[in-house]
Amino acid sequence: MKPLRQPAENLETSVPEDNGTKPATDQDAASNYWDYDYSNFYSGAGFDAFDILDPFDAWWEQARPRGYYLFGQPITTAPGTRVHLVETKGNTKLENLVNLASYNYLGLSYRPEVIAAAQEAIGRYGLGASGSPILSGTIDLHEELAEKVARFKNKESVLLFPTGYSANLGVISGLMRPGDLVVADQYSHASIVDGAILSKAKTRFFRHNNAADLDRKLQGFSGKKLVVIEGVYSMDGDLAALADIVEVSRKYGARILIDEAHSAFLFGEHGRGVAEHLGLDDEVDMHLGTFSKSLGGMGGYVGGSTKFINYLRGFARSRVFSCALSPGVAAGLIAALKIVEEEPELRAKLWENVAFLQERLRNAGVDIGDSESQVIPIMIRDDARIFSIAEELIHGGVYLNPIRYPAVGKHRSRFRISVSAAHTRDDLEEGADIIIRVLRKNGICS
Amino acid sequence: MQLTKYGFSHAVSAFFEMPTELAKNLLPRHLQPLEVQHGSAVFAVTAFDFTESMVGTYTEIVLAVIVPPLLEAGQQFPKSAFYPYLVGTNTPESRAHAIERWHLPHHMADVDCDFAVEGGAMNVRVHDNDKPILEMSVHEHEWGKTNDLYQAFMTDEQKRYKVDIHMNGEFSEHEEESGSLKLHNHPMLEKLEPAEINTYPFRELWMKQGMQTFNELETI
Repeated sequence: MKPLRQPAENLETSVPEDNGTKPATDQDAASNYWDYDYSNFYSGAGFDAFDILDPFDAWWEQARPRGYYLFGQPITTAPGTRVHLVETKGNTKLENLVNLASYNYLGLSYRPEVIAAAQEAIGRYGLGASGSPILSGTIDLHEELAEKVARFKNKESVLLFPTGYSANLGVISGLMRPGDLVVADQYSHASIVDGAILSKAKTRFFRHNNAADLDRKLQGFSGKKLVVIEGVYSMDGDLAALADIVEVSRKYGARILIDEAHSAFLFGEHGRGVAEHLGLDDEVDMHLGTFSKSLGGMGGYVGGSTKFINYLRGFARSRVFSCALSPGVAAGLIAALKIVEEEPELRAKLWENVAFLQERLRNAGVDIGDSESQVIPIMIRDDARIFSIAEELIHGGVYLNPIRYPAVGKHRSRFRISVSAAHTRDDLEEGADIIIRVLRKNGICS
Repeated sequence: MQLTKYGFSHAVSAFFEMPTELAKNLLPRHLQPLEVQHGSAVFAVTAFDFTESMVGTYTEIVLAVIVPPLLEAGQQFPKSAFYPYLVGTNTPESRAHAIERWHLPHHMADVDCDFAVEGGAMNVRVHDNDKPILEMSVHEHEWGKTNDLYQAFMTDEQKRYKVDIHMNGEFSEHEEESGSLKLHNHPMLEKLEPAEINTYPFRELWMKQGMQTFNELETI
């Protein structure tokens, strides 16, 4: 490339105000929408908290129809293997898309037994629990669900939360205090980060799955320490390097919390999660998860010793100050858990589907990163084009969500496939064919 | 408007996470560190190989903390804003110029930056008469032309300053975490706690054959 060369005397110059160095206007920012993303609007100048709204709106009006509309489009069917979608850009209805976006890993959200249990509970108890779980909100279904989850997870006790998010919030902030140390994997879910913020403990993040960096972050700290990891990482689908992490944590006397949001009820001989799968279930102090993924409902839980659960009952503010789970959801979860226990073939079917789809995509040259699970990233690595590729995929017949900066690193944009046991071989073949065709057309794979 | 231009063959920058409380210690009271995530501020290391300037050719290493930009209604958003808490150069003239014109705090001895391209990576070695200060590597990604706005904040005993800086040239940026940083025991780094700074960058930026253009210094 031709180097820029200028005479030294031109290195200090006077220029008119409108030569391009003049600050751009809101309209300029809007027309150059591609130079901006959500991260630009986190903080803003001015004395009114609403000062940021006009520049954000100017950008959003440009950005939304160019791709951001793809987030949060309404589905008009159950989150099954095929969905109907309202495309909000043109207000058109797209029908019978192969659904590779919902984390309904065992297809339980719409199983007739689950729906029937929920309907019956709503008929008996009504819509809501109408109270905090520590006051009037606990019903017998909550007790039954907690006991059954504890038995399934082989833990002394389990505490229920309204969501998986609130479980991490409540556990971390309920246990850790200012002056303590929380060390979490750098790819931790926002709920782990927010739990650490709420605890006011010192927080450090270690390099993803890197026990040596965890060691570095734990060194020299003499107070209470908590290490937080996930069983399956939600953007890459890889598993926790649990053996090494346990070893380092034990070396420094740190307690370990594992979030099995994407792995409980799926991994391991009994389906307890990645900790069981890796033979380290008893090495982990706290086992946390959500009911919104594999069980197809909503809510969260943490399992551990009865002493730990009893303590947390009084200090997990995200639970204490929230309404208890809806009776319909609790009953549906009990029914879903029963299916998981009685139909291990569901998990076998899921892993067959995962193996099939991973092989199909890899053989076609699709970059699926280091996925070892039902979470399969389709690495696009092109922040500028991911929205247009997403549109092609949806119009081609497959429903997938684009993921781009700042949700992942710059130029690490991707789609994230969630495989379900409910997918048929035809669903997966059709979905893979569409993905491969669109990626080839765009030069993403050969 | 008076513009001051500095032509460079390479400008290499990497962003490393550091504890927020340590970043605060490097900043004046009117600035706050920008957190990349809770408890993690950004330590930015930037090395320049200047080929054209009012004070001739020289190399420069800039140690900075990333801060929120100063935004005003109707103005362009800067790509990043820096508080350079210490700068090192290899010529007395460039030091005197930057101190006088931009109020940039300097390490007052000559510091050299060696640039070596190797297999898609730029390796920068910063040293003081062969006494090592730091080594940094940044890897390339896709190259494209850019003209980005940055801000730098400075301060002295009496005043607070800001300057808008336009960076024009061939540009590569990514977050593949493929680079590295090694900090040595050296007086230039005495304000840091090397063990608390990540040894790998979360963002790597590399510009080639470009022009750094400073607007006029503003008092804020």
